[in-house]
Amino acid sequence: MANPASTALPQTLIGVGALALGAVLAYGATFISSEAGYAGVGPNFLPWVVAVVLTLCGGWLIFEARSGGFRKMDEASGAARADGGAFAWVAAGVLANAALLTTLGFILSCTLCFMLAVRGLRQSEGKPPRGARGLVLDFVTGFLIAAPAFWLFTKLLGINLPGLTQTGWL
Amino acid sequence: MDIWNNLLSGFATAGTPINLLWAFVGCALGTAIGVLPGIGPAVTVAMLLPITAQVEPTASMIFFAGIYYGAMYGGSTTSILLNTPGETGTMVTALEGFKMAKSGRAGAALATAAIGSFVAGTIATILVTLFAPVVANYAVKLGPPEYFMLMLLAFTTVSAVLGKSTLRGMTALFIGLAIGLVGIDQITAQVRYTAGVPEFMDGIEVVLVAVGLFAVGECFYTALYEGRVKQQLNRTGRVHMTRSEWKRSWPAWLRGTAIGFPFGTIPAGGSEIPTFLSYGVERKLSKHKEEFGTVGAIEGVAGPEAANNSAVTGTLVPLLTLGIPTSVTAAILLSALQNYGINAGPQLFQTSSTLVWALIASLYIGNVMLLVLNLPLVGLWVKLLKIPRPPLYAGILIFATIGVYGMRQSTFDLFLMFFIGLMGVLMRRFDFPTAPVIVGMILGPMAEAQMRNALSIGEGHWGVFIERPMSATLLVLVVAVLVLPRFMAWRKKQRSR
Repeated sequence: MANPASTALPQTLIGVGALALGAVLAYGATFISSEAGYAGVGPNFLPWVVAVVLTLCGGWLIFEARSGGFRKMDEASGAARADGGAFAWVAAGVLANAALLTTLGFILSCTLCFMLAVRGLRQSEGKPPRGARGLVLDFVTGFLIAAPAFWLFTKLLGINLPGLTQTGWL
Repeated sequence: MDIWNNLLSGFATAGTPINLLWAFVGCALGTAIGVLPGIGPAVTVAMLLPITAQVEPTASMIFFAGIYYGAMYGGSTTSILLNTPGETGTMVTALEGFKMAKSGRAGAALATAAIGSFVAGTIATILVTLFAPVVANYAVKLGPPEYFMLMLLAFTTVSAVLGKSTLRGMTALFIGLAIGLVGIDQITAQVRYTAGVPEFMDGIEVVLVAVGLFAVGECFYTALYEGRVKQQLNRTGRVHMTRSEWKRSWPAWLRGTAIGFPFGTIPAGGSEIPTFLSYGVERKLSKHKEEFGTVGAIEGVAGPEAANNSAVTGTLVPLLTLGIPTSVTAAILLSALQNYGINAGPQLFQTSSTLVWALIASLYIGNVMLLVLNLPLVGLWVKLLKIPRPPLYAGILIFATIGVYGMRQSTFDLFLMFFIGLMGVLMRRFDFPTAPVIVGMILGPMAEAQMRNALSIGEGHWGVFIERPMSATLLVLVVAVLVLPRFMAWRKKQRSR
């Protein structure tokens, strides 16, 4: 049974990824000392094991991909084609949050992340953007989740989260 | 009567108002996240791990255990009403439960699930109370070679036996082990795989990987592939069972409990096997075979639900007595203990006996709370299912940020979380199991230390693993677990020819 081209290529790439990870780990393992002490194996032993096994797994995955596809696969749930546009919004939200968290403070940065993610997830459901009113609504919803969460975790549970101001409330 | 006294003092600790409050909040939160799709107990506990910096150990373990437990109760509600299992353990519940709900018997299905969970959870807690101290007493005698073999057994079962493909399970496990390698080697204090990045010195936090794989990955996956998937919500109806439904549920609960508990206690991980097993047994024994797969049979809900809860409780035995987690959530509970500098293992019953017994007592209390939370209040939880997906998943991202950033105040971790999220999408798309990653990264460093200590004992000879009888037995078991299923499949193939 030949693997249809539509799944053979991505599956091969996954195998190549595992193979590459194994190679990187092997390269890194060469820098770790083998000083063994009484045990006979040093700190570089497990790294080599992991590197070799991952390389083997990668090779085997490529073999499976090329000869009929991954074995015993469940049909992945959801659509066959990825919705790249919707994903871009969500990804932008997460990355913007990572970049702006310490400058904007937790509440505003997370509200922004929320707005971007909602926009993307709505788009993935095929709903049109809701214009200015929708943006205000998303801002308010996001703020109403982020602000109480911020207060709960910083005031009550003593976790350090960045604020925009020194007041501890925003 | 030592156990009895310990248990009583456990109740005294767990029964203080503040600890009761933690248990209640944990149970309620657990039920909520069990009901909500897209977020499970493992990732919730992971997100809340930063609180270990402030909250005292007993309170937070009671809280986390409540979440773990509550999620099992809540998960069945979603399975029955929505046919999208909240947790892997409730997959089987969805088979019959959803059918029952469709033919207007949702109330009976919900009732048998909740009461069955209570019965199984309570019986299993009694078993934990009786057996855990015995196992701990015995486990003190185990040395590094035996521990290493036990961990090897856990690795083997979680990667090779549970998933569909051994190859993909192994790949996931070794990715987890690779993540666990990053940072400072425990024995020689050598720095490994940091690539000059200072953030890698302390290793990669389990919160980050769990949240990335499960919360962020899930959110990405939904945006990428699942936007157009429509879901249908069944009506709840009145939650009660008729006399004949009680009569049919009882034996199924007890059988499920008996099947589930042993699977929880051995390092074979997860509640998937016992729930499917229980389903098979009920199907075979039922006097109403025609109901299975058509209008839905109540035994098919009662048995697996009980098996699930009893297995989940059973996982506490290896966790508390050996320090070996057999499920993702147990793995994260273990890392919560590590955050406190508490080493889970046989000594735990001596060094932290207050904590252990308070935790066990809180399980009894939690089960009662959950029964109350779930039977009369089920309508309240069902309302959670009406939250539209976009704000729900976007909201989860906010809590993901708290968990990951709150752990060590580093935005570097937030970027890393993004990439782990991408990995989560790929793993889900190509049907790689995720549990081995978490178990590998937490158990990996421990297993490595045990292995090197064992080899030190044997003065560098690998023979140490076969010269000691217990260790050799475990090694045989590992080989059997790997070989037997393949041998059986091969024989079956030969016969059918």
